Amino acid sequence: MCDTCGCGDSNGIKIHDRQPISDHPHSHDHDHDHAHPHTHSHSHDSVLFTHSHDRGAKKVISLNVDILSDNNRLAQINRKSFEANHVLCLNLVSSPGSGKTSLLEKTIKALIRSRKIFVIEGDQQTLLDADRIEKSGAPAIQINTGSGCHLDARMVDSAFKKLDVKPGSILFIENVGNLVCPALFDLGEFKRVVVISVTEGEDKPLKYPYMFQTSHLCLINKSDLLPYVDFNTDKTIEYARSLNPNLEFIIVSAKTGEGMDLWYEWLARQK
Amino acid sequence: MHEFSMAIEVINLAQREAGKNSASVIQEITIEVGDLSGVEADAFETALEMLVKGSILESAAISIIRTSGKGRCNSCNIEFEMNHRMATCPKCQCFPSEISGGEEFRVVSLMVD
Repeated sequence: MCDTCGCGDSNGIKIHDRQPISDHPHSHDHDHDHAHPHTHSHSHDSVLFTHSHDRGAKKVISLNVDILSDNNRLAQINRKSFEANHVLCLNLVSSPGSGKTSLLEKTIKALIRSRKIFVIEGDQQTLLDADRIEKSGAPAIQINTGSGCHLDARMVDSAFKKLDVKPGSILFIENVGNLVCPALFDLGEFKRVVVISVTEGEDKPLKYPYMFQTSHLCLINKSDLLPYVDFNTDKTIEYARSLNPNLEFIIVSAKTGEGMDLWYEWLARQK
Repeated sequence: MHEFSMAIEVINLAQREAGKNSASVIQEITIEVGDLSGVEADAFETALEMLVKGSILESAAISIIRTSGKGRCNSCNIEFEMNHRMATCPKCQCFPSEISGGEEFRVVSLMVD
């Protein structure tokens, strides 16, 4: 899977090895490792008909191959690798500006003494988020997707290998801020956490149903702003649950810390 | 705009399959896009048409089969058509218990020389 959403620049992905922005020349570690095995057994490949008597004849190759099968296969390999390493991997998705990074900063500061935490940061450009995460105490690696609008399983695999994630850790993947495309790309996470902030409007689950249907937990962030905005929390939960009855909710404020204990308890329950 | 990524996946897939079958030209590619697949069929077709230049699919006819969405309501025990993700059971107005069709997004076949 590649990063060409929106333009033809297919070489725009950069995985930054925790290199802070600096003046000295540094080689971006463009780990475009395309030596991935294609071990598909397209067992149902079959020739429907051939005009075999005719040189240069046409034949129809029946495939029925899921176009996302490559990503799904790699995601499954990631998932097994996380499990084998006793790593709890969570994929955080949201629209831009919901407060994912602030939420992670707060979480890391609260938990880092009791649990190892690693972060894969996805953004189109800049190392800003990885720098923020590292300052709060967790090793982070930044994936810049260039023109791409989502992370995919291959990017996560490369980043995971570079991060040297220790057994028993939590690995947070902060996906590119986008409620549309990341919904379709399994990264191999154990659970998907969708973050919505109270400044966004309660109808977001209805507008972006795929994301809410594929998530396990919904964090409603910026609860400290509730007195100032027309956000109906009950309505949001009702809309989201109508799409996904199993979705859990925690109302938090990464700024004031309200509700964060419930989030930490939720994390502790994930095995 | 993930349709662009998908289009590139399709081109790579077509290239691989053509190679396996020792085909140098693909005359036609048939792709199924379900209404509930999360992929906009029109945007995907446009993306594919833009990106095929210089690829094995450059001269291929692109045939897109659209599959309509279907949901199952276990309470009413009926299957109903879903034009979009938010469609509800026509009897009880509830969201479907399961989506029973329209999530397909696959390359069905290639016609090669």
